[in-house]
Amino acid sequence: MLSIKQGRYSIALVCMVLGFMLAVQFRATQDMKSSLPYQRVEELSERLLQTEKERDNLKEEISTLKRISGQETNSKAVKDLQRLAGVVPVEGPGVVITIDDSKMISKTGENPNLYLVHDDDLLKVINELCAAGAEAISINGQRLIGTSEIRCAGPTLSVNNVRSAPPYEILAIGDSQNLETAMNMRGGVVETLKVWGIQLDIKRVDKVHVPAYKGVMQYKYAQVAEGDGEKP
Amino acid sequence: MILPVLGLIFGIILGTLFPVGISQAYAKLFSVALLASLDSVFGGLRAAAEEKFDNTVFISGFFTNALLAAVLVYTGDRLGIDLYYVALLAFGLRIFQNLAIIRRYFLKK
Repeated sequence: MLSIKQGRYSIALVCMVLGFMLAVQFRATQDMKSSLPYQRVEELSERLLQTEKERDNLKEEISTLKRISGQETNSKAVKDLQRLAGVVPVEGPGVVITIDDSKMISKTGENPNLYLVHDDDLLKVINELCAAGAEAISINGQRLIGTSEIRCAGPTLSVNNVRSAPPYEILAIGDSQNLETAMNMRGGVVETLKVWGIQLDIKRVDKVHVPAYKGVMQYKYAQVAEGDGEKP
Repeated sequence: MILPVLGLIFGIILGTLFPVGISQAYAKLFSVALLASLDSVFGGLRAAAEEKFDNTVFISGFFTNALLAAVLVYTGDRLGIDLYYVALLAFGLRIFQNLAIIRRYFLKK
């Protein structure tokens, strides 16, 4: 064992000061990590999510209250319009289609983008479903309405301005037999996508629940034209 | 050897108990001063092992080194020269050198 004969006390004293400084510095570093932008970003995104959830809940509450108070007109015309607009959830037989990125490993020199699900792939699928007579469609819980967009948003996809990542679950209500065969048509969507190994799974379901459109509807520029045109 | 360790532990306890904080602006200076003190302690241990320990030199060296390092980094910050890393490198090298010498003495006995 190393024995210190000279200056034991001064070394001990200095060690004490050093220990004090160490403790203070340690605490300062801890404080820095817990107080600065680190937390801020997380906190803000958390709060945003929470608020969005709250908003959705309130919206749902509004619709239930409306239904209870009988404000909603029960006339057939209104119901038809609501169904057409996609503001009410609908149920019926249909298909559940799940699309995910390819599991194949891209060959060197080949564009890896080919193995990912893109907005236009999804558009093709939706288009085919519409052509086959789908009456209501939703992508990852977002109901497609007249003004819905399907758009590439970086690595994600934006539908109704809500972003979602693969796998995409498309719910479609319609004649399930028709829908399935339309997808599996020779030279159709499924065949094209299968080349790149994109995983597409079609399931026929007796009861599909397609949610209502949850976004805001506002018409700023389009006004109802009066006078001309035939009245319904 | 036990006395310095006891001192260190006592100091750490003291530091944790006392509500002394340093603002973020001075954290950098403080860390350099801390490194300088660490270097001084190892220098002192080495001198003690070599049996040419001088109390005055040790104590004055401890405080001047720490202060000078902090002042140097502060000036460097003002002038736009990153003397922070220079201080880190210099003290770090010396700490390792001293540690090696202390280890030799430790093994010899």
